[in-house]
Amino acid sequence: MSTVRGDSVRAPRGRAPHFRAPRLRRLPLHAGAALTVLVCLFPVYWMITTALKPSRDIQSSDPHLVPHSWTLEHFRTAVNAPGFAQFWRNSLLVTAGAVLLSLLVALAAAYAVARMRWRGRRPFVLAVFIAQMAPWESLIIPVYIIARDTGMLDRLLTLTLVYFMVTLPFTVIVLRGFLATIPPELEEAAQVDGCTRLGAFRRVALPLLAPGLMATSLFGFITAWNEFAYANFLIIKNQDQRTLPVWLSSFQNTFGTDWGATMAASTLFALPALAVFLLLQRHVTSGLATGAVKG
Amino acid sequence: MSATEEHAPPRRRPARTSAPPAPPRRPTRDRSGPWPYLLIAPAVLGMLYLLLYPLARAVLISLQDFRLRELISGDAEFVGLANYRALLTDPRFWTVVRRTFLFMAVNVALIMVLALLVALMTERLGRVWRTVVLSSLVLAWAMPVVAATTVFQWLFHSEFGIVNRALTSLGAHSFERYPWFAHGTAAFAILVTLVVWQSVPFAAITLYSALTTVPAELHESARLDGAGAFRILRSVTFPLIRPIVMLVLCLEVIWTFKAFVQIWVMTKGGPGDATTILPIYAVQTALSRQRYDLGSAASMITVVLMSGVLVLYFRQLFRQENES
Amino acid sequence: MKFRLLAGASSSLLLLTTLLTACSSGSGSDGSADGSGGASELTVWLMRDSVSAAFQKEFTQAFTRAHPGIDLKIQIQEWDGIGQKVTAALASNDAPDVIEVGNTQVAQYAQSGGLADLTGKKADLGGDTWLKGLAEPGAWEGRQYGIPYYAANRVVVYRKDLFRQAGVDPAAIRTRQQWLAATRKLNKGDQQGIYLTGQTWYALAGFIWDEGGDLAVQEGGKWKGALDTPEALAGMRFYKELQALGKGPKDADEANPPQAEVMAAGKVAQIISVPGGANVIAEHNPRLKDQLGFFPIPGKTAGKPGAVFTGGSDLVIPAASRHQDAAYTFVKELTGDTWQKKLALAMSYVPNKTSLASAVASDPGAAAMAVGAAEGRATPNTPGWAAVEAENPVKDYMTAALTGGDLAQEARKASAEITRAMNSAS
Repeated sequence: MSTVRGDSVRAPRGRAPHFRAPRLRRLPLHAGAALTVLVCLFPVYWMITTALKPSRDIQSSDPHLVPHSWTLEHFRTAVNAPGFAQFWRNSLLVTAGAVLLSLLVALAAAYAVARMRWRGRRPFVLAVFIAQMAPWESLIIPVYIIARDTGMLDRLLTLTLVYFMVTLPFTVIVLRGFLATIPPELEEAAQVDGCTRLGAFRRVALPLLAPGLMATSLFGFITAWNEFAYANFLIIKNQDQRTLPVWLSSFQNTFGTDWGATMAASTLFALPALAVFLLLQRHVTSGLATGAVKG
Repeated sequence: MSATEEHAPPRRRPARTSAPPAPPRRPTRDRSGPWPYLLIAPAVLGMLYLLLYPLARAVLISLQDFRLRELISGDAEFVGLANYRALLTDPRFWTVVRRTFLFMAVNVALIMVLALLVALMTERLGRVWRTVVLSSLVLAWAMPVVAATTVFQWLFHSEFGIVNRALTSLGAHSFERYPWFAHGTAAFAILVTLVVWQSVPFAAITLYSALTTVPAELHESARLDGAGAFRILRSVTFPLIRPIVMLVLCLEVIWTFKAFVQIWVMTKGGPGDATTILPIYAVQTALSRQRYDLGSAASMITVVLMSGVLVLYFRQLFRQENES
Repeated sequence: MKFRLLAGASSSLLLLTTLLTACSSGSGSDGSADGSGGASELTVWLMRDSVSAAFQKEFTQAFTRAHPGIDLKIQIQEWDGIGQKVTAALASNDAPDVIEVGNTQVAQYAQSGGLADLTGKKADLGGDTWLKGLAEPGAWEGRQYGIPYYAANRVVVYRKDLFRQAGVDPAAIRTRQQWLAATRKLNKGDQQGIYLTGQTWYALAGFIWDEGGDLAVQEGGKWKGALDTPEALAGMRFYKELQALGKGPKDADEANPPQAEVMAAGKVAQIISVPGGANVIAEHNPRLKDQLGFFPIPGKTAGKPGAVFTGGSDLVIPAASRHQDAAYTFVKELTGDTWQKKLALAMSYVPNKTSLASAVASDPGAAAMAVGAAEGRATPNTPGWAAVEAENPVKDYMTAALTGGDLAQEARKASAEITRAMNSAS
């Protein structure tokens, strides 16, 4: 049975007639797409080419779109910088831990909010929204004090918990939004067919949630992956526990910043997010929802 | 399972959507028992300890005379509302508040319009183009904030930036060595561009994800009924994705209200105060001048102001909940 | 099928979470292992580029040999976010034992009570010959908290070949007017007479001091911005005249882009920099290695070199350090004569004592620096000054003045900003 569904998932989504418009009529559409890609990628392109330019061409008084000469020297500097592997490991652990924890916790909460009726639901939703507005820049001092008084300074676990909390409200809200677009009738029908409530959720709603899960985990990933202030403030003496964003700042020196190496490091640093997306994007683009509803 | 899918009535929904706003489906009423509470328990516990507790400490700090000395020694003197009074009577603070609202409004409007356009466009693209567009969106989104900010700073550098060079070679000679960051309005505009550039990918991808959950049959049937493209968008597509549009809108309000890193790295709030919005003001006060008390108070006021904007959203949210 | 895949993935990731928790608590306890018995661990924070790797290694080896009871760990800190980091360290229960702090930053930390008072050790450390530009900012209300570590001040770094071509003799430049005339001569075609960015505010401070003005003055216990005095305005006018003799961006400071790299890449005759900048230029463009010379920033009259800001660092011991004695041993070694001489030579610094100045006489950059150091000055010694640097209204003022703003009006505005910032912090 699941094979059947798997097939329908992979099938291209049904196209309304206007999608089959002749080539010429799709021209503005493709022009728009090209423009979007161009605008999105230009700064990224600039970052990558900066990483590949010799230092003297970076910020030269005669800027060029295409670098005149190329070098891998900056990537070598970045990879050979002390602690490279260590900081990668730290960032990966912290990020993965925070994202997974928040996905699990949020999925449970979002289900309770979207599918069940209980006293206190409304205050809970309100609380989650307020949590989303939390002024994290200013909570850094109280968080620091609490961590200090409980002996949690200098530990990756503290960062994991903070990032978990930063991403949790968002994850709950978005998953709840996605759940709300999935007709509960689907699950009810499965329950009629003899599935348990959990089974119905697992078999019917969860696959439909894939785009939501992707969007939220990507969000969590990028947020935690990029965070600097807490990583800088809460990891003090134990330098082996530093994360990548803090490490990125090590290419600064008293005479300015080694921008080539910084951009090379940033490029390497952005890659995991892209990898995560490419891994998950099938879930978004295959039009899961349509497939299931259409049956 | 196949039964499920047969039961799902795709044709029933157009009728419902003709009466917007689309109400979320009726939550199951039966035998919830202790389950919902067990399901939210981890989230509630997390929020209590990791958020509410620090927040309470922050409120306490905002009511104390709390500077570096107090941070080190641990005890601080209670001063009541003195910090709030100091802020609210400072004309500079009110200018910052007005600027924050302007910044938020301009950004959110641009982000929502552009993201919706990109999402609608992406949905109409073929598989290859769609993957290309989505991947570039993700790349833009994944670019480290500091790197993105630095690149924007370079692009607009007065001597070495490619923007001035391009404008000059296009004949706009007034842009030769134009010092973008010397002028408040120009610096503000560059920051808006940067924030919009960074925010559109998330909004567009989320809206696009929502669009893919709209059954194509709805479009087909509406088309058969003779509706034009815009009409379909307004009365079929939009009502269905409305909850997510509102959600994205609400999140973007919150995020642009809290925009910090970009501004801090690029202009530190300058020139003058031209790009100082509330979070910058709070951090300048708290971390650079080590007035943690005033910084905390400024953040609390920020939260209150933000809630003011979002009250409208909450009201709508609860109207939906009541209908269900 | 898809679901099972997802479930499998999430459960294995759950395992990872558990692993992470175990992992981080494990390494956490490793890291904070107090050397129970044996050598006590001494953590020292030095800033990036404050010492070279070779110097660090040589010093650590010698120190460990001389003090086998101390296990020295030098950690290099980054400039980005360092203020917050030091704050966090001072307030923690287990602070690093010695921290290098910029000389103008000591006052704010001292005021907070986070630093150990080292007044009693002054004689032991040879405090009477310390450089004033380091010792004075290291003191707060008559007590000494910061121990002078090294100093550096700005000189003019110039291209010998370009000077020769233009027929300019650097030794003959003794006054500002001669300097302007020479720079005008050098500013020809695509060659820049001087690359001076609009926000190089340390240079402006020097010109203002030359005129007899100051950045801020104390009046009846209250600090007041002083950029709008006639003296300060004269300093700014000179800055504007000089800045126009090149293509320095008016809305950026010297780090953006790094001015040494600009000089390495293009035809730039002079920059205002610490002598160490020459090494960076040579590194980026080895052809210039032997073409770089130094002269002190000229003053108003030939008899007196230009006033300069004394940059540099002090060493402080956090009150929360658990190894006060070992920390003091370290400070005494590194600021003592033997290592100061080596450090000054290795890094082109001015040593921390006037009595050691001869140690660097052979180095042309350091020699030019030493001439200026005689006129070394510091920013106002008050915790409030850190607040001014954090917002830096001086930079905004300079950009406004250079891009056609009304000088007197902009100066008044900036002075008011300085007054506000200095008094709101303390």
